[in-house]
Amino acid sequence: MDRRRLLTTGAALGVSLVSGVLPLAARAQMTSTAAPQPDDSESDRIAAEFLQGAVPLSAGLAMDLPALGDNPAAVPVRVHLTEAVSETSFCEELIVLAQRNPRPLICRFRFTQLTGAADVALRVRLMQSMGLHAIARMNDGRFLEARADITVAAGGCGM
Amino acid sequence: MSRPPRIWISSETPTRGEIVRVRAQIVHPMETGFRTLAGGLTLPMDIVTRFRAFLDDDLLLEWQPETAVSQNPYIEFTIAAFRGGELRMVWTDASGDFAEAVKTLSLAEV
Repeated sequence: MDRRRLLTTGAALGVSLVSGVLPLAARAQMTSTAAPQPDDSESDRIAAEFLQGAVPLSAGLAMDLPALGDNPAAVPVRVHLTEAVSETSFCEELIVLAQRNPRPLICRFRFTQLTGAADVALRVRLMQSMGLHAIARMNDGRFLEARADITVAAGGCGM
Repeated sequence: MSRPPRIWISSETPTRGEIVRVRAQIVHPMETGFRTLAGGLTLPMDIVTRFRAFLDDDLLLEWQPETAVSQNPYIEFTIAAFRGGELRMVWTDASGDFAEAVKTLSLAEV
């Protein structure tokens, strides 16, 4: 390869690098249309839809959160049954709600008899300090719930 | 996705009934659909819609993340080892089943 060709190739590479960087610059000016829920009503509506009129028990399910969500873009959450799981008593479905997030439903889990456990952990994005609510539906029709509050560091949520 | 899922499993040779813990993470942008570029262009929503774990062909766990789940979704779960088999994990987004990971579970002789 002669010197001229090397230079033009280098220049072309430089241009492609710059154009590759442009979206990064645009990313810095990115705004979000996400707005937190003003109250817990939307979260409670989803919870009521899941409960279908049943009254949840406040024992049997536990939710673990850190004392402070220092990174609101990845807050570790663990939800687990504290009662024993057996072939005749197991969790079928579990929902986790972030009560003030733009879309309060964080996720839904389904388990089967073969799972033999209900213990999950994940990382969530939280818009602000808020309450989290988890509800489990057991195979015998019982509902178990757990609630926890968390304070998150401001901003940078990335939603 | 060019990068394979990262999987950690507490034991690949559990005793019968032992609780096996699985941690799995996948590279995915988890774009919420809320974010707007400076020009007014909204980035379309692009999230992992489903994660499933199977033991051979039997479903163990199904997870349906929504927008509140972090980028590069991490999931940790436990299963009771009633029998051995192929523990197969499948991630799904709008493009379909885009990633899969397999671990072999074999019950330890006691």
